[in-house]
Amino acid sequence: MEKAKGSGLLLISAGSQLTSMVVAGFLLGYGVDVLLKTQPIFFLSFGMLGLVGGTLKIYRILSDPDLQ
Amino acid sequence: MSQAAEGSSGGGTVEYIQHHLTNLCIGDCDPITHKAAGFWALHVDTVFFSVLLGGLIVLVSARLGKQLTEGVPGGFQNFVESILDFVNGQISDSFPNPPKIIGPMALTIFVWVWLMNFMDLIPVDLLPVIASWMGVSYLKVVPTTDLSTAFAMSFTVFFLIIYYNFKSKGAVGYLKMFLFHPFGKFFIPANIVMTGIEELAKPLSLGLRLFGNMFAGELVFLLIALLGGAATLGLGLLIWFPLQVVLDLGWLLFHILVITLQAFIFMVLTIVYLSMAHTKDH
Repeated sequence: MEKAKGSGLLLISAGSQLTSMVVAGFLLGYGVDVLLKTQPIFFLSFGMLGLVGGTLKIYRILSDPDLQ
Repeated sequence: MSQAAEGSSGGGTVEYIQHHLTNLCIGDCDPITHKAAGFWALHVDTVFFSVLLGGLIVLVSARLGKQLTEGVPGGFQNFVESILDFVNGQISDSFPNPPKIIGPMALTIFVWVWLMNFMDLIPVDLLPVIASWMGVSYLKVVPTTDLSTAFAMSFTVFFLIIYYNFKSKGAVGYLKMFLFHPFGKFFIPANIVMTGIEELAKPLSLGLRLFGNMFAGELVFLLIALLGGAATLGLGLLIWFPLQVVLDLGWLLFHILVITLQAFIFMVLTIVYLSMAHTKDH
């Protein structure tokens, strides 16, 4: 349960984390779509999930009192 | 500026920039654009310069290792020790009980990425022109402006993250992380997707950040070089030359900060991601 002291350094990546999660969502969705031949259902839904997850992640990183 | 001279009219500017941003590709490459056209395309210049710089690190370290002195260290030893202390400080701040591999790996990442980024500070036309005398038509000297290098390193870190997750959490613990994080046990399908996206975003953000910053930096250097290159159209355009010198110097000084910052960020985030993977809980 030890929390690393320097995990506040994650704040460095807060900006690109949001973008990367959206991109990762679209990529993963595209992969699933290609496998299941269901374009563009998973592409769009995973992209949206990436956006939601990215926003949540940034909110969590920025509001974590341990990281201040 | 000899290659700027070739592209003196029409699409010359675009050609000049495209030429400098094209790798020396062998294997599965497009014969017209010279870009990689399949998986089995090899960017020889990227491999050459990254291996050369890696070899330089090994050589200098081996030489320094033989000449280490106790007590008052010499100038270079002092410099290397200060880098070591800096990297060690970052690790001890972020990693409670680091495995032995983390220190050397973080140091290698920092120095190697910095050296590869440093190639950006060499005048943009110098090495490509020398190479063209030897019959090499394309040469991109900064390995980190190649997406392959950035992603090769970030995906290596990604595989290490998976390895340490397995090692510290165990297969069941790692699976639980995918199943029950972040929305709890009632949203398992969403949890799997979300955690998958979160994990995939780590190497993506690492690689894209390094590549994006270095590529943009290289492009600005090329645009500044085009100012002086315009003089090949007519001597009157030499009026831009002082501006080129000032801009080049300014961007070069600023870019020293950028390359150091990018190397630092890549190293620090690697340490933080691995320390997160190394904890038993998520």
